[in-house]
Amino acid sequence: MSIAAINEQLLRAIGVGVALLDADDFSFRFQNDTFVDWFAPQPEQDTLPKLLPEFDAKELREQLLAKKRFTAELNFRKKRRTMIFAADFTLTTEAEGAFIVLVCQNISRIREMESMIDSYSMMVERNTREIKREKEQVEKLLLNMMPRSVYEEFKTFGVVTPKLYDPVSVLMLDFVGFTEMAASADPSVTVSELNDIYSAFDRIGEQFGCERIKTIGDAYITVAGLPDPTPDHSRAVANTALRFIRYLDRRNQGHPNQWRCRIGIASGSVVGSVVGIQKYVYDIFGPAVNLASRLQECSEAMEITINGPVKDALNEQFLIESGGTRKIRGFDDQDIYKIRDSRKGVL
Amino acid sequence: MADQTLFEKYGGFSAVSRVVLDFYDRLLDSDEIGPFFDDTEMSKLVDHQTKFIASLLGGPSSYSDDHLKQLHTHLDIKNEHLDEMKAVLAKTLLDHGFAEDDTETVMGELEARRGIIVG
Repeated sequence: MSIAAINEQLLRAIGVGVALLDADDFSFRFQNDTFVDWFAPQPEQDTLPKLLPEFDAKELREQLLAKKRFTAELNFRKKRRTMIFAADFTLTTEAEGAFIVLVCQNISRIREMESMIDSYSMMVERNTREIKREKEQVEKLLLNMMPRSVYEEFKTFGVVTPKLYDPVSVLMLDFVGFTEMAASADPSVTVSELNDIYSAFDRIGEQFGCERIKTIGDAYITVAGLPDPTPDHSRAVANTALRFIRYLDRRNQGHPNQWRCRIGIASGSVVGSVVGIQKYVYDIFGPAVNLASRLQECSEAMEITINGPVKDALNEQFLIESGGTRKIRGFDDQDIYKIRDSRKGVL
Repeated sequence: MADQTLFEKYGGFSAVSRVVLDFYDRLLDSDEIGPFFDDTEMSKLVDHQTKFIASLLGGPSSYSDDHLKQLHTHLDIKNEHLDEMKAVLAKTLLDHGFAEDDTETVMGELEARRGIIVG
């Protein structure tokens, strides 16, 4: 077998499509088996433009004249399958005349994979966005239920270790006559107003570094000094309490429903932890919580009652009056005091 | 922890992509179903099959019923076409090493969408 014959056989057998075109009229002079297999040219498709009518033969001619080479992507529809080829045209001049060597590689699979990866990426991106949104919602919900540092601990370890915070100041607020109001008024109006008020309380508390712990019906508990120790926790809570009352005073002036509260403030220790397994609730327990509750009961409407240690910590920055000595359930007899608003009447 | 989806069980995208491409090839070769794709662009068909198979296997896709309906409503798909498609998909899955009961599960997912796909 001659070298030329071996070369031709090799050309026929390789996995790329090879064709030889006349440079003048783009007629086929040779097509290897792979090329024939891919394009299955019919006898009447004896030129490249006839085989691939959408192919830009003019551009091919211009590029070959200018650079002797041209690369393009050929789309060829075979039955219902779109085949995509990377085509490389090279102009060559032999004794017999000018020819174009066309080498094609089937890149259909690569394009299919690219389409699939595009499609998959879009799905994953959409999922990721959804997961991120859900995560943010869960985080928002949990942050509504517990301080951020407690949430971080919960997120990292899945549990929250109960912690003793000492000292902190606890503010306990309760509305006067809420039960009657809830029973007599439209419940949805009552709840909506309560929600407005609690939202305002949250904003006020936040200003002074208080952490709202929870609301139980018409009782509202907020605390200063946790999770991070705050040296002036008593002042923070006293300021918050005064603003709560000012806010309600102002609100009552323009609303048919009159909301009046009683407030108790106590300093001391509390234990903070997440309780419950199915329904996580961050809560605080301890003498300061119980005492704040009892002191609240000593308040008249729109009054703030504190005990001795809180008064001492307030450093004469507040207008404080003595409330005498009271027997407090569960505690020793206590000297109690009332914080008065020095700005009363100048709202 | 949530149950593992078939998509995850069979190796995620890298493995399922082979199933999708093979299924795509077999669909085009099928004389019963292939003609539905005569005028469909390759990229669109691949996109559709990727999402559809991922959705059947519990992968990161959520073809809603409305979306599926919208994609098939203009085609005159009969019950026998869906039967053929099920047969092709079942054979593809089995050939790619899916267990018979998992293949049955996928067929159940497909069957559940019959009313949406068949016009």
